Amino acid sequence: MKEFDIEKLERKNIYKVPDNLFENIQEKVINDVKATKKAPIFKLNWAYAAAASLALIFGATFVINQNDDSTKEAGNSGATYAVNTQAPKTESEIAYEILKSDLTSVEKNNQTVVNQNTKSFVSQDVETKEVPTPKTVKPVSKKTETQMNEYLDSFSNSEISELASNSTQDVYLDLYN
Amino acid sequence: MKIKDAEIITLMQNPRTQEKGVRALMDAYQSRLYWHIRRIIVDGDLAQDTLQETFIKAYQNFHQFKNDSQLYTWLYRIATNEALQQVNKLKKMQKTDEDPEYHMQNLVADNASSDAEEIQVLLQNAIQSLPEKQKLVFMMRYYDDLPYEEISKIVDMSVGTLKTNYHYAKQKIEEYIKENYEK
Repeated sequence: MKEFDIEKLERKNIYKVPDNLFENIQEKVINDVKATKKAPIFKLNWAYAAAASLALIFGATFVINQNDDSTKEAGNSGATYAVNTQAPKTESEIAYEILKSDLTSVEKNNQTVVNQNTKSFVSQDVETKEVPTPKTVKPVSKKTETQMNEYLDSFSNSEISELASNSTQDVYLDLYN
Repeated sequence: MKIKDAEIITLMQNPRTQEKGVRALMDAYQSRLYWHIRRIIVDGDLAQDTLQETFIKAYQNFHQFKNDSQLYTWLYRIATNEALQQVNKLKKMQKTDEDPEYHMQNLVADNASSDAEEIQVLLQNAIQSLPEKQKLVFMMRYYDDLPYEEISKIVDMSVGTLKTNYHYAKQKIEEYIKENYEK
């Protein structure tokens, strides 16, 4: 071809076009527009975001510090446990301690009754100004206590241990056995 | 009756009538934009997707549209950017040993209708052989008859540069057709 002027050529679209091209495009675009409208758009406000971040940091720091304190406390209690962990006692020692504590508790109970009675009499005292004497319960006398000790001393360690095993233990004591 | 740009803009700016506005916008510009995109991309399915994306972007970013430019200029700008992005994606996916010009000519042959004239197919091949900017300028001026001032806003080039580009593009195309036309 010697001479050719592009301006004289007819402007044509030569490409194949699928059926319902624009209907399909419009439908898809409108669907997308509707979906976008339904979905709320969250616009990030930097001031709120910064405030929220600070609150989160302080909150987290507070919680972590609290945990540290409780850990320290736990550590201390652990130390207490460590102190309590002593060499295991022999059977006879345990039996002796149990008996001793039983006797002590009996003594204390009697004293408590005395104290209670005393208290009640003290309260009456305020009204009557008379000093009453306890009548119903008497504390264990020193004589009886000495007799009891002598009696116990007459037992051998194994006998005391046997006695202790027959006695009813406080359930909480099992924790330390 | 063809709806005017001012009406489309009013519809688009009101959230209650936005959907109607999008429909009006598509009715008014879908054909022009489709062919603009199709001539850049050539592939039919990809051109369809790109046009969809163009309208969605236009809807999503309509608040950025300033009345100091014409609506179609703004739409052409979005469509051109979307189309060029697709072309760049295709180039990245393309095999390194394949000649891009040869690839585009194959695409033209595959997409051309069976009754297309040989000279028209040659013209499309010649357009695909042009550098990117010359191609864009030539297509917008030759097919869409857009004024240089508007093309300048779309591709961010001065009017003088556009005129020069169009002149060179036209020369190259005529040379190409002269060389390859068999009749």
